[in-house]
Amino acid sequence: MFRKACRQELTILRRAFNKWGVFDFFVEKTILIKEEYHKDTEVYLLSSGLELIILSRQPNYAGLKVGELKKNFLPSMEGADLIARVSKNFPHIIVNEIAERLILYGRSVLGQSIVGGTENLNENEIILLLNRNREPIGVGRTKFSGKYLFQIDIVTVTTLIDAGHYLRNEGQ
Amino acid sequence: MKTLVFPSTPESVGLARLYRYDEWIVNRFMQYVPDVYTFLESLERDPPRYIRTNTLKIDSKKLKSKLLSKGFKLKETALEDVIAVEKALYSIGATTEYLLGYYYIQDLSSCFAVEALDIGKDQTVLDMASAPGGKTTFIAQKMENTGCLIAIEPNPKRVRSILYNIARCGVINTCVFTMDGRQVSNLNLKFDRVLLDAPCSGEGVIAKDNDRRTNHKPEDVEYCALIQRELIEAAIKVVKPGGLLVYSTCSFAPEENENIVNYLLDKFDIQIEPFQYGNDGLVNFGDFHFRQDLKNTKRFYPHLHKTLGFYIAKIRVNN
Repeated sequence: MFRKACRQELTILRRAFNKWGVFDFFVEKTILIKEEYHKDTEVYLLSSGLELIILSRQPNYAGLKVGELKKNFLPSMEGADLIARVSKNFPHIIVNEIAERLILYGRSVLGQSIVGGTENLNENEIILLLNRNREPIGVGRTKFSGKYLFQIDIVTVTTLIDAGHYLRNEGQ
Repeated sequence: MKTLVFPSTPESVGLARLYRYDEWIVNRFMQYVPDVYTFLESLERDPPRYIRTNTLKIDSKKLKSKLLSKGFKLKETALEDVIAVEKALYSIGATTEYLLGYYYIQDLSSCFAVEALDIGKDQTVLDMASAPGGKTTFIAQKMENTGCLIAIEPNPKRVRSILYNIARCGVINTCVFTMDGRQVSNLNLKFDRVLLDAPCSGEGVIAKDNDRRTNHKPEDVEYCALIQRELIEAAIKVVKPGGLLVYSTCSFAPEENENIVNYLLDKFDIQIEPFQYGNDGLVNFGDFHFRQDLKNTKRFYPHLHKTLGFYIAKIRVNN
């Protein structure tokens, strides 16, 4: 069921949008929450023309899922795409071409594949995975902090979601 | 109404044997397809491949440059956002650009159907049989992600493909209802634009699916025509006065095309608007004599337009 975000959820979202550098972008945008039994709370971005129809008619699906709300906000692949387009400052790594292909098959990131990104990332930080063209190919979680992210032959960033999931899951 | 089947001739039997069709299909093509020999020959080859730039994420120039650098050979088409892919070194459905939603693999004919809708920003639009979402995402793109786009699909399994494509293409102005298009009036909404790309017998995709040369039966056309008539009646009733309904099929069969629109003209206060692409619709087919306005509807043939077989009618609801 789609509904408006409650005060507590709005606080988490605003904090998250600030962290990802998209606070201003979302100020004028329409956001709804979708809750289903036994599923994570999902956050949807939609055109202002849709809001009334969604709230009154409760369609099966609507708008663009930009992320999930648990204790914190976790961007979806579509949310990552928005962040990479809009934000000038967000936690990320840039990977080489080999890693790009592997990430698109759902694989995690080895230290030697990282060719750039935000300095001083923390352990367990949610980050965007970008290719050399700075296009978002996934969302990941760091397993190490700072310079330890570059350790050779060790998975240093776990891929949580990647753009290849469209192909892998479409037919299921 | 029964599907028209014509008496066999030596020519129809010979062509059917030569190109491995059931005779009745070729015989019908001979009644209305211009230059039927070239037409049948064109169906022997793989159809051209097209991609449509998703301008919600990238402009055509940038996309072309990215694909050319990967060894693609591309060609422009009649529509600005649609590009013909003449050579690709690997699958066009598995590139990073595809996964990032920069383009959608879609036949040019489908894009013509959306073009006919004359879509503007902030409109309320309905896509009545929307899976897998190619036309839906193109409509959203034409609306620049504003307004309200309602997509309907009766088959829950096919809804999944719409959702993936909506997500991949970054569409925010669309909601999807799993429902039968014939019940669309239950939504209590009126629309500026309605697209009914009706389920059809699929004669137009023979080049992609060779089995249809012998699996296709006259009863298929009758069955589809029945559903199409119900769907188009439901569709016309939810168009705002002055609004547009675009009816399209990927079938050549006049029973699924001109005859359906002719039925609508007899029953409702509407007019058929001209459309600049394609060949004129039929006004005669066997015993059928359609209204002259049907010339304004358009037929697309593989050998003439380098598309799959397609039919488009642009219908204006009078005030």
